[in-house]
Amino acid sequence: MKIMINDYKGKTVVIISGDIDMYSSPDLREQLMVFIGKKTAFLSVDFTMVSYIDSSGIATFVEGLKCMKAYGGRLQFFGIPQGILEIFRFSKLDNVFEMYGTIEDAVNS
Amino acid sequence: MKDSLVITIPSHPKFLSVTRAVTGRIGELYEFAEETIEEIKLAVDEACANVIKHAYKGDTSKKIVLKYSVTRDAFTVIIEDSGITARKGMIKGRNLDDVRPGGLGVHFIKKVFDTFQFDKRKGKGNRLTLIRHMQIKI
Repeated sequence: MKIMINDYKGKTVVIISGDIDMYSSPDLREQLMVFIGKKTAFLSVDFTMVSYIDSSGIATFVEGLKCMKAYGGRLQFFGIPQGILEIFRFSKLDNVFEMYGTIEDAVNS
Repeated sequence: MKDSLVITIPSHPKFLSVTRAVTGRIGELYEFAEETIEEIKLAVDEACANVIKHAYKGDTSKKIVLKYSVTRDAFTVIIEDSGITARKGMIKGRNLDDVRPGGLGVHFIKKVFDTFQFDKRKGKGNRLTLIRHMQIKI
């Protein structure tokens, strides 16, 4: 898994590529916590290049979401491939997250 | 008729990608539906992750043995470890209305496989049998 950080219209975009699993999710958590520590108001996660996510990855995002909600921040996802979306649906947590089709939809929401 | 395959992986999370690759390839060989392949990859990954996390408590120097078998009517994976024996109370899916990190793995496995059974006769460690009943071209 690789993580890149970008800025789009003043909002922080976390671009993830590869597999999010038990091996890589601690790195993801560490990165999310950096932004949460700064009380970043908007974090948009680009899933376009994510090839896999397991329960540890979903749990990492649930934790991130809870931390952000505590200070009024928003965690958004966009560009989720169908296979990844199915795993979120499988977890029944798909309605917990803000999910958008494109980066534009996310930042304009 | 039955085809079988055994692999042993170290109990390090970096090898979970190997189990996913092998599981997925088996699914492709027997022409499982793409959705089924993704489901069994996820479930076997989660079962191995649970071994690392709970049976081995994060010890990456141990072994996990995966025994795959395919018959005309079932796909079976037996996962063996030599770690801490799972107790019944430890193994349960969680209430999905409770939004919190953790505890999703068993829920995924039980959703994908028809049988989720620990072998009580195993001495040290665990032997988990996962069976999905399905028609398979073999």
